[in-house]
Amino acid sequence: MTDAALSSAAGSRRASPRGAAVAKVFEGLCFAAATALLAALGGLIVSLVIGGWPALKQFGFGFLTSAEWNPVTDVYGAAGPVVGTLVTSTLALVIALPIAGGVAFFLTELCPAPLRRPIGTAVELLAGIPSIVYGMWGLFVFAPLFSKYVQLPLMMAATPGSLLEKLTVGIPNGSGILSASIILAIMILPFMAATLRELLLTVPPGVRESAYGLGATTAEVVTSVTLPYVRTGAIGAVMLGLGRALGETMAVTFIIGNSHGFPKSMFDSGSTIASTIANEFTEATSPVHASALIALGLVLFVITFAVLGLARLLLRTPGARL
Amino acid sequence: MNTLNPTEGFETSIASVGDAPVKVDVRNLNFFYGGSPALKSVSIPFVKNQVTALIGPSGCGKSTLLRTLNRMYALYPGQKAEGEIILDGENILASKDLARLRARVGMVFQKPTPFPMSVYDNVAFGVRLYETLSKADMDVRVQDALTRAALWNEVKDNLKGPGLGLSGGQQQRLCVARGVAVRPEVLLLDEPTSALDPISSAKLEETVTQLKADHTIVIVTHNLGQAARVSDYTGFMYLGELVEFGPTNQVFTRPATRRTSDYITGRFG
Amino acid sequence: MTASASKVARRKLTNVVFEAFCVVVTVVALVALAAILWSLLSQGVGGLNLDIFTLSTPAPGSRGGLANAIVGSLMMCGLAMAIALVVGVLGGTWLAEYGGRSLYGSVVRFINDVLLSAPSILVGLFVYEILVAPMKGFSGFAGSVALALLAAPVIMRTTEDVLLLQAATLREAGVALGAPLSLVIRSILWRSGTSGILTGALLAFARISGETAPLLFTALNNQFFSLDLRHATANLPVVIFNFALSAYDDWRRLAWAGALLIAAFVLAVTILARIVAKEQRRS
Repeated sequence: MTDAALSSAAGSRRASPRGAAVAKVFEGLCFAAATALLAALGGLIVSLVIGGWPALKQFGFGFLTSAEWNPVTDVYGAAGPVVGTLVTSTLALVIALPIAGGVAFFLTELCPAPLRRPIGTAVELLAGIPSIVYGMWGLFVFAPLFSKYVQLPLMMAATPGSLLEKLTVGIPNGSGILSASIILAIMILPFMAATLRELLLTVPPGVRESAYGLGATTAEVVTSVTLPYVRTGAIGAVMLGLGRALGETMAVTFIIGNSHGFPKSMFDSGSTIASTIANEFTEATSPVHASALIALGLVLFVITFAVLGLARLLLRTPGARL
Repeated sequence: MNTLNPTEGFETSIASVGDAPVKVDVRNLNFFYGGSPALKSVSIPFVKNQVTALIGPSGCGKSTLLRTLNRMYALYPGQKAEGEIILDGENILASKDLARLRARVGMVFQKPTPFPMSVYDNVAFGVRLYETLSKADMDVRVQDALTRAALWNEVKDNLKGPGLGLSGGQQQRLCVARGVAVRPEVLLLDEPTSALDPISSAKLEETVTQLKADHTIVIVTHNLGQAARVSDYTGFMYLGELVEFGPTNQVFTRPATRRTSDYITGRFG
Repeated sequence: MTASASKVARRKLTNVVFEAFCVVVTVVALVALAAILWSLLSQGVGGLNLDIFTLSTPAPGSRGGLANAIVGSLMMCGLAMAIALVVGVLGGTWLAEYGGRSLYGSVVRFINDVLLSAPSILVGLFVYEILVAPMKGFSGFAGSVALALLAAPVIMRTTEDVLLLQAATLREAGVALGAPLSLVIRSILWRSGTSGILTGALLAFARISGETAPLLFTALNNQFFSLDLRHATANLPVVIFNFALSAYDDWRRLAWAGALLIAAFVLAVTILARIVAKEQRRS
């Protein structure tokens, strides 16, 4: 075959293909972009450490154990916001998890076929609603109702000196730790329900059907077949929900009451790390105050990094990637 | 020339191609996926402007052998080949310019792989890589390639339509057209009809027969009838070894080894 | 016989309780979420009028709208998406096509996953430290960078997934013609993955358009109309936050109207993303 003759017949033949010259450049750009994100996280950590260092140095380990947060005397202890963060997130998870599970089981096992897609889609769409909307609803709609129908009656019912009185102490305006936890729970609910549903849908139909075929009830199929099938993925999804709750700013800031120190009861006002930073960072005039807020951010990062890292490791198991 | 290789446990028979010009000569080729060997000391000549079929049961290494001929395996770290593959006197295993090699050795895959662009651009894609043609010259080239692939009459009115809009058989012939448009010297076909219906398969076989006037063709196939119909030489592979090689009519009518005859008569496979 | 009959009865009862629980919590959840949407609509629609789109944020008690905040948000999100698309698509391509299998690749992927759900307020703090503090001023540009940091991991993840989902033979077919891998990626793989990448980008866009926390200390706010991203820039989320917590009824009305706008916008973008994804599955 006269290959050379053929190729010289028309046009010019290049020694190397189109695009060869930029191949290395392109690969380099891709590498740079991937590295940029790595650097971003690295930079984030470094900036939090540098920014928080003065406060950490000044207060030492007491920064984590002291609950005194006083911008007037410039003394800062993170225990209040840290405990507030952990308590609200855990409570939110405890409230949201059974509901999210129930919704996911309902959608995958019980829901009449015509409703399955609309409800499933609605849940997924609600997962994308900005958290500030949940926060506003919590402050303007939920808090007054909560105060009128839950908080006040309970406080009225409490006799002086009783345990109930201790548990319900606080300003009866509907804001506080429990309210914030409920709003957080409503906020992470669609996300967790949608994630769990998606996981349950990955169970091969044959596995479910053969369990039903043995005469198992819905409850038995769910608890002994489908849920164990997606176990690690489900744990990961729950941790991701927890991660969201831990770092959430807006849904909480509106309704937690924003007071420093340890909350005295579930109805007392409190603060979380994110709400404290959101409220005070632009107004922090003393360097120590700003540094203490950044150090708070570092604590939040460590907590969420641990939770998210664990969640991602669990989700990485085969068949459970999200 | 018959050789018996007692150390390997089963007999092999590699016929000489005599004076026929050899386009690609594979010599003592070993291939590894990670640590495990997939080809063991394979030597096989591919005669110029002839069709050579590679047959054998699944996993025998025939596709692996094909993928060494354009070094497609180099995309994947951990896969490596040892030995020699001589293309026109040059050992391609030592070649640095893989893009150039692949422009000389074209490939058509098991499943149709049209690019997400028009029929015309699919065919012109490879040509544009190496050549700067005028619009008119490119039109001629595209028409020529589509004609060779026996597709021109079906798509000439819809060259701007998406390649993905064609039927499965048409998509596969489009991939053949795309392959021949760059005028490769060697064309590798990896089970090109396994995803096609019988009528499309027959058309593609006809195309292959016509293409050998300009190309040296290597075809991997599971379909023994197809191998018998389109090829001039046949290599039978088993467990990573070339068991038998010779002119097709000889391999099919008078196989020299028992394994070949067992496979051809359908006793295993 | 009776023992097994009572066992069957117990199993049935358990199941009834379980199913009832599922139904009840689903109803509760849907009612709660519907209540939120209802408040949003009932409170927000009242504040919606033409002024919202034509006038800037007012002083308490005077006439005004959200025009400066809407324009500021669009500009910042637009710039953020431009940055995030470049970084995300290139980075995702590197993970899928070049280095994803190396140790460094798995580190990058893990870090990306962590960034994907890192608290957004920390991203705000970070950008404050690296851009706002050194440049001695809040800026819309800093806000864009913060938002880009939230969007890029989403796009990077989607791009990697989309590229890995494509048949290996498509990649090989391009390479088999003698094209360099980089050209195959750009003119074949990206093209056939466009709708998938677009879906991810839209979801990222939806996410950042409602983000408030990272803007608090980066873009801050600006009560005047401005197209200049070099200075503090008005944006819907922060305006909503400030106005909602204010004591003025007219500001609160604007906050509700703004919240409705954002939620409607986010829903619209999310639905668009789903349509694009569906189209892709069809082809």
